[in-house]
Amino acid sequence: MSEIEEGVRTGSAVESENFIPSSEIKEGEDQIHIRNLSKTYVTEDSETVVLEDFSLDIRKGELISIVGPSGCGKTTILRMLAGLVQPTSGKILIGDRECTAPGSDRGMVFQDFALFPWRSVRKNVEFGLEIAGMPKEQRRERADKYLKIVGLEKFADHRIHELSGGMKQRVALARALVTNPDVILMDEPFGALDAQTRNLMQAGLLKILDKTDQTIIFITHSVDEAVFLSDRIVILTKRPAKIKEVVEIDWPRPRDRASPEFTALRKRILEELEKENVLD
Amino acid sequence: MATILNWTYDENNRYHRWFRTTVIAITSLVCFVFAWWDVSLLLNSTAIPTPLETWNALVDLVVNGDSVTGGRTVWAYIGSSLKTFLLGFLLALVVAVPLGLVIGYSKTIREFANPVIEVMRPIAPIAWAPIFILAINYTVGPILVVFIGIFFPVLTNVVFGVQKIDPNLMDAARTMGASPVQVFYKVMVPSAVPYLMNGIKVGLGVGWMCIVAAELYAPQLGGIGYYLSTMATNGLWPNAFAAIVIIAILGIVTTGLAEYVHKIITRRMGMSNV
Repeated sequence: MSEIEEGVRTGSAVESENFIPSSEIKEGEDQIHIRNLSKTYVTEDSETVVLEDFSLDIRKGELISIVGPSGCGKTTILRMLAGLVQPTSGKILIGDRECTAPGSDRGMVFQDFALFPWRSVRKNVEFGLEIAGMPKEQRRERADKYLKIVGLEKFADHRIHELSGGMKQRVALARALVTNPDVILMDEPFGALDAQTRNLMQAGLLKILDKTDQTIIFITHSVDEAVFLSDRIVILTKRPAKIKEVVEIDWPRPRDRASPEFTALRKRILEELEKENVLD
Repeated sequence: MATILNWTYDENNRYHRWFRTTVIAITSLVCFVFAWWDVSLLLNSTAIPTPLETWNALVDLVVNGDSVTGGRTVWAYIGSSLKTFLLGFLLALVVAVPLGLVIGYSKTIREFANPVIEVMRPIAPIAWAPIFILAINYTVGPILVVFIGIFFPVLTNVVFGVQKIDPNLMDAARTMGASPVQVFYKVMVPSAVPYLMNGIKVGLGVGWMCIVAAELYAPQLGGIGYYLSTMATNGLWPNAFAAIVIIAILGIVTTGLAEYVHKIITRRMGMSNV
């Protein structure tokens, strides 16, 4: 077994010497502070309050998922965390730094993958390293390592359009992980995949994340997915989004979808969401 | 024999599709030649020679060169036209591509440039020919006419390409720490390439129309358009028609080449759907 294969199996291949996280925060402590966040979209003839006075603390190393009725502003929260959208008021602190613009301390995985079609799989994964100014050989080595972690080392030279949906999302995941950001933001990453691929991806994601101390903020439509993956689930109300409830799940992983407590919790969260979805 | 008679067309077989297209194209050209022949015989005018007369003049031109005015080969005429064409084309690319990228990128620059573009674009490039040739000179004039013909299709396509870019790709680049300049040349420029190729395809067609017309005003250049006008003014209609056939063939070759390059590049870039 080669060094890298060994590393993938044990998880030591997910290294963190480079791109050392800038904060001294230990796992389990609060890392991200969302304070009184509001967002209003103004157009000529209407004002839409998407988010009002939203506060939440996110702990380092946890996988927190956000569920809520359609159009409640889940994605807006994530895009503000990414620095792609500016809040109307309130602020987001990561460690002790205020987050105002995108930065390499946060990686993002998009629902529609957002891969560059003119780049090969490897070159897509290398993108963030290129931006960071890493030399060519090192870049390639590191990209290959992460392609190995997501199981796509054989496809390094392929073009994006030659891959299936699940493979594309694994490339996107490798691309987000490769710079070793403190936080990974995932915007319905498996929403475009079929149910079977989706389950495989969830299991794969857990396996990868087991080896890292990255904080994951996960937006999803699927309550089943949220219960399967999360340390905590944030349930939002309909727009303007407020926190309805935060559910802590401390069950060991991998979780059994058929177990009575799993189905009971899923049912309860679904019912909560149902109440929010009533058309008014 | 039986196998040929039992032949059935299979839409999923690329060779069948290719064969079908070729047969229809050849039939179309044959019909055209016969129609031309009919018109020529019916009008019985010397100004419209029959395809056979044209063919003979064409063979004579290719084999013996220009036997009427003496000396020059057909390749000299073609070479002169191609040179003008190529210079105009390169000039158009050098100017239109950066300009298109910038206009597509910045709303302010777009709003500034659009009125000028909209005023200039509807003017037939050929209308500039007498002005450029008289105001500048007969070498640069035709190049500028070709330039204008190719410039606008390339420019508008690049502008369109930059604006059509998937905003998610730019967001993805930004979340990986890319600066606005890096987003521009690592994301916007490559995603505009298929549109650029499309603009080149259209531009080459327009440019080819321009070159011949411009040469009518610049006899000193000695291009194929000059040969055409000399033959026509001397009433040598079969020779004039031979020149038209050469122009048509060169036009087909140019656009065919552009089509091919477009296909290769978009396929290599994984963007054949654009």
